Amino acid sequence: MLKINNLSAKIDNKSILQDFKLEINPGEVHAIMGPNGSGKSTLSNILSGKKGYDVTGEVLFENNDLFSLETEERAHKGIFLAFQYPLEIPGVNTNVFLKTSLNAIKKARGEKELDAIQFLKLVKEKAKELKFDEEKLGRQLNVGFSGGEKKKNEILQMSILNPKLSILDETDSGLDIDALKTVADGVNALRKKNNSFLIITHYQRLLEYIKPDFVHVLMNGKIIKSGGPELALELEKKGYENIN
Amino acid sequence: MEEQLKIDFEKKLKDFSYSEQEKKFKQTNFKEFLKQGFPNRKLENWKFSDLNQIIKSNIGELTFYNDYKKENQIDKIELINDLEHNKLIIIDGKIEKIDFKFEEKDKIEVLVEQGEETIKENINSLINLNNAFSNKFCKVIIKKNYSLIKPLVIYHSTNKNTQSKNTNLRIDFKLEENACLRLIDIFKDNSEKNFLNIYYNFELDKSSILKNYKIDKSMNNNVKYSYNNVKQQANSISETFILSSGSKFLKNEINCDLQGQHSSAFVNGIFDLDEENHHEIKSNINHLVENTKSYQLVKSVLEKKSKAVYQGKIFVSSEAQKTDGYQLSNAILLSENSEFNAKPELEIYADDVKCSHGSSSGSLDENSIFYLMSRGLNYKEAKKLLINGFLLDVIEKITDEEIKNLIKNLLGIKE
Amino acid sequence: MRDKQIEDLKDYKYGFSTDIESFKAPKGLNEDVIKFISNIKKEPKWLLDWRLKAFERLKVLKEPDWQKPKYPKIDYQDLYYYSAPKSFKDKPKSLDELDPKLLETYQKLGIPLNEQKRLNGIAVDAVFDSVSVATTFKETLTKQGIIFCSISEAVQKHPELVKKYLGTVIPLTDHFFATLNSAVFTDGSFVYIPPGVRCPMELSTYFRINASDTGQFERTLIIADKGSYVSYLEGCTAPMRDENQLHAANVELIALDDAEIKYSTVQNWYPGDKDGKGGIYNFVTKRGLCKGKNSKISWTQVETGSAITWKYPSCILKGDNSIGEFYSIAITNNHQKADTGTKMIHLGKNTKSKIISKGISAGFSDMTYRGLVDISPKATNSNNFTQCDSLLMGNKCGAHTVPYIKNKNSDSNIAHEATTSKISEEQLHYCQQRGLNPEEAVGLIVNGFCKEVLQQLPMEFAVEAQKLVGISLEGSVG
Repeated sequence: MLKINNLSAKIDNKSILQDFKLEINPGEVHAIMGPNGSGKSTLSNILSGKKGYDVTGEVLFENNDLFSLETEERAHKGIFLAFQYPLEIPGVNTNVFLKTSLNAIKKARGEKELDAIQFLKLVKEKAKELKFDEEKLGRQLNVGFSGGEKKKNEILQMSILNPKLSILDETDSGLDIDALKTVADGVNALRKKNNSFLIITHYQRLLEYIKPDFVHVLMNGKIIKSGGPELALELEKKGYENIN
Repeated sequence: MEEQLKIDFEKKLKDFSYSEQEKKFKQTNFKEFLKQGFPNRKLENWKFSDLNQIIKSNIGELTFYNDYKKENQIDKIELINDLEHNKLIIIDGKIEKIDFKFEEKDKIEVLVEQGEETIKENINSLINLNNAFSNKFCKVIIKKNYSLIKPLVIYHSTNKNTQSKNTNLRIDFKLEENACLRLIDIFKDNSEKNFLNIYYNFELDKSSILKNYKIDKSMNNNVKYSYNNVKQQANSISETFILSSGSKFLKNEINCDLQGQHSSAFVNGIFDLDEENHHEIKSNINHLVENTKSYQLVKSVLEKKSKAVYQGKIFVSSEAQKTDGYQLSNAILLSENSEFNAKPELEIYADDVKCSHGSSSGSLDENSIFYLMSRGLNYKEAKKLLINGFLLDVIEKITDEEIKNLIKNLLGIKE
Repeated sequence: MRDKQIEDLKDYKYGFSTDIESFKAPKGLNEDVIKFISNIKKEPKWLLDWRLKAFERLKVLKEPDWQKPKYPKIDYQDLYYYSAPKSFKDKPKSLDELDPKLLETYQKLGIPLNEQKRLNGIAVDAVFDSVSVATTFKETLTKQGIIFCSISEAVQKHPELVKKYLGTVIPLTDHFFATLNSAVFTDGSFVYIPPGVRCPMELSTYFRINASDTGQFERTLIIADKGSYVSYLEGCTAPMRDENQLHAANVELIALDDAEIKYSTVQNWYPGDKDGKGGIYNFVTKRGLCKGKNSKISWTQVETGSAITWKYPSCILKGDNSIGEFYSIAITNNHQKADTGTKMIHLGKNTKSKIISKGISAGFSDMTYRGLVDISPKATNSNNFTQCDSLLMGNKCGAHTVPYIKNKNSDSNIAHEATTSKISEEQLHYCQQRGLNPEEAVGLIVNGFCKEVLQQLPMEFAVEAQKLVGISLEGSVG
C-alpha cells in the first residue's frame, strides 16, 4: 500500500530524514518510535504533503507517486493524518467542517455525497461509539476544546472518513488513560483487512492497546532497528540510548 | 503674526554669522512655516488638538526672537536630588550647561558648531519653525560599545520674565553600535504662556539602546510640543516613556522608523491630567523590514475638564513580514467634563504579521471602590488605590529600576 | 474578442445587460434636468423646491477627498440623471403589464418578482436604473396598514409622510454626494410600518443599473412607527460597462419609540475586471435615526462588489435606551478598494452600540475600516463595543483600521479591539489534509472568520452571502 524508498528530507539545509525506507501492506499496523527530534513529525508532514521541505527519494501510495499529488488529493486517495496539534478554526462549526470534508472526498472519488440527514445520522453514530460529546459537534472546530478532546475529535474524523492509511502523529501524547482507551478503541474498530495504520509515538503506552504488527525505531532520521511488538517493550526497558 | 515673524526672523539672521548653507536652510524652513502657519484641526494629525486655536486662546500673540548671547542664570534650577546624573541645562532654548562628569571623556562627543547635517524630509510646520528659529546645531554622539554609567537629564527651563514667547530647541543624538543611553527630559517652568517646541533626532546604530523618559509633572501654563524622530538599525531598541501631566497643553509625537531587522520600539505613556489641561500622544511606528516589533501602552486618568488624546499608528510595509505590533490604551474618566479621544490606527501591507490594538475608556469601577470601602478605606483612599493600580501597569514597563522608582515617587505611588 | 466577452461574463454572474430601450433625460446636471425629473414624476411643488434648494447647496459644496481610495474625477455634466425603460413612461398597473424582457432580467437575477414565487415570502420592490418597477405582495401588506411602494408613488399617495420625514436624517446640507442625491434622486423604496405592527415578511429591494452612463440615485425612506418592527433587505447588481458607473444613493431610517429596523445589504455591484476597469463607484449615504425611546436600528452589510465602496451606515442614538448595531463583511479582491465603516453617535441616555467589522483583502486591493464612536456629554451610562478584524491574503494588498473614539461622558464605556492576521499555513494544510482543495479551504476559513456577521443575516440572504464570500475570493489563493 505504502512504499517509501530512500526518502531524504531537509529543511533550511538541515538534514532531518536520511535514506528512510518503509513498506506497509494492506491491513498492517506499523509503529514508529523515536525520541524527540528523530524526525517522526517530519515523516508525517511529508506524507501528508506539508510544504517547506526539500525532499528526495520516492513515496508510492497504491502505486501513485505521492509527491505529484497535492495534500487534498492524497486525502481523496485515502491518506488520513491525525495531527499532533490539531488546528483551531474559529467560526467554523465542527459538523460543517466534517460534512464538507467527507463530501469533498466522496465527490473526488465519484461517490454520492451525503445529505444533511444522512450525515447527521452517521456522525451521531460514530460520536456515540467514541464517547465523543455530541454537544461539541455544534461548536467551533477545536476552539476551546481540551487537548484530549482535540485528539478524540481527530479519531472521530478518522472513523467518519474511513481512510485506507491512517497516520497517527503522537495521538497519545497528553491523553489520560480513559481517553487513550477510547482512541485505541476507535483505531481497533477501523482495523480491517484493507486498512493500514502508521502509529508515530514516543512511548509504548498506546501500543499496549493497539497491538502493532511491526515496530521501527527511528533515530537521527533513520530506522535503526525493526521488529515485532516485543521491540517496543525492549525500548521501554532499555531506553533509546541503549538499543542496538 | 506674520509681521512679527518676519521681524524676528530678520533679527535672528543678523545675530550670528551663518554660513550660506545654514542661511538657506533656515530661510527655506521659515518660508514653509509662513506658508503653513501653526497646525489646525483641518490636518488629520491635529484633528483632536487645534494648536492654532490653543495658542490663540492660551497665549495670544507670540514673539519668536530669542537673544542667545545673553547669559542665563542656571543656579535657580531645582535639580533632581535622589539620582546621580549627567546634566544638560537648557533655558529658553539655549544650552547653558553640559556636564558629563560621570562618564569617560572620549566616549561622548558633543558637536555644537557644525550644522551640516540637516534632515531633508518635510515633517510638519512646527519642525520648519524649529529649524528656522532654533539656536546653533547640537549633536551628541555616544561612541561604539559605550553605555553611559549614569543617565543624562535634560532640564528644560524658562527665564522668569520670558513670556508669550516661542522657544525652539533641536538636539540630534547618535548612538553608535552597541551604545546605550538613558535620557530623561524634565520641565522646570519659571514663567508662563510660552510655546516650547522641541525636536530630537535619534540615530540608533546596530544593537544600540535608547531609553527616553519624558517627565512633565509640575503644573504650568505653557504650551509644548515635542517631536522625537527615531531611526533604528538592526537589533536596536528604543524605549520611550511619557509622563504627561503638568503643562497646559503638551503634545508628544514619536516617530520610529524600524529600518533594521530585529529592531524594536516601545512607547508607553501616562496621562495624569487635571484642571483644563489638554494633552496628546501621537505615535507613528513604521515597520519597514522583516522581524521588527513594537509595543505601545498608554493609560489615562482624567480629572475635571481635562482632555487626553492618543493617536497611535502602526504602519507595516509590504516587505515587513513577521511584524509584531501591539497597541493598547485605557482611560478612566473621573469627571463628567473630562474627555478621552483615541485614534488607534493600523495600516498594513504585509500578510504575515501579528498586529492588534485595543482601546477602552470609562469610569472608575464603583464595585471595586465599594469593595475597598467595605474593607475600611474611605472613598478618597479607595480611589487613589485603584488609580495607582491602574497606572502601575505602565510604570512596570519601565526597564530601568532607578528611573522607575523616581517616577513612582513623582506620582506618589508606594508599594 | 468574443472569447474575451464570454470569459468576462463567466467572471461576473450578473454581468448581462438587458436590451430595453431607455428613455433618458438629457445629459448633465442643471436646473432644467432637475425640473425635468420632477415634472416627469408629476411631483408637487414643495418637492421640486426642495430639490432646487439641494442643488443650490451643491454648488458650494466640494467633493470630499479625505478617503483612502482615490478615483478619477467624475464629470457630473457627462452623466445621465434619469433613465427609464421606455415602456415605463406610462407605468404598468400590475406585473402582467411588465415588459417580458424586464421580467426575464429579474429571473436571471433570481429575484422573486413573479407572483408564483410568492412562496419565498419576501416582498420585493425592484429598481431598474432609475425607476421602481414593481412591488410584490402589496395586498398582503396593505391589510396590515404597511405601506411598501416606490418613493415616487409615496410622494403621490402619502405626501404627508414623505414631507414629514424626508431629509430629517440626511439633511439637504449634508455632504456632497448626499446633497447631489437630494437634488436628482429618481426613485427608490418607501416603507412605513404603522404603530404596533410587526411586518410579517422580509421587505426587499433589488437595485440594478442597466443603462450606461447613468448614475443611480435612489432614495430609500423607512419609517417604523411606535412599537413596530421591520426587516429590510437590499440587493444590488449591475451589468458590465467599460465606464465606471456612479451609484450615490441615500437611505434614511427612522425608528420611533420601541420600534426596530433591521437593514441588511448584500452588495455585489460589478467590481470591474481583473485590472479594475469598469466597476461601480458605490458612494452611498446610509443613516438611521433612533428617534424614540427604546428604539433599535441594526445595519448588516456584506460588501463584495464595486470598484470603490465608500460608505458608513450610521446610527444616531437620540432616544434614551436606544440601540445601534453595525455588522459588516467587506471583501476586496483584484484592484477593488473599500473605505467603509460606521458612525455611532450617542446622544440619549443609556444608549448602546455594537460594531463588528470583518475585512478581507486579497490581490492588489485596499481595504479601510473607518469608524466613529462619539459619546456626547449627555449620553450618560452609554456603551459601545467595537471589534474590527482584518484578514490579508498576500502582500500586494492593504488593510487599514482607522477608528475615531471620542468619549465625553465619564459614566460611559467604550471598548475597541482590532486585529490583523492571515490564514495560517497550518490551518490550510489541516483543511487540505481533510480533502478540501485550497480554494474550498480558504472559503471555509473565511466564512468562519465572518461568522458573527453572517449570523445576523436573514436565512435566504445568509446562504447567498456565504457563497458570495467564496466566489469573491476566487483566484486569490495560490
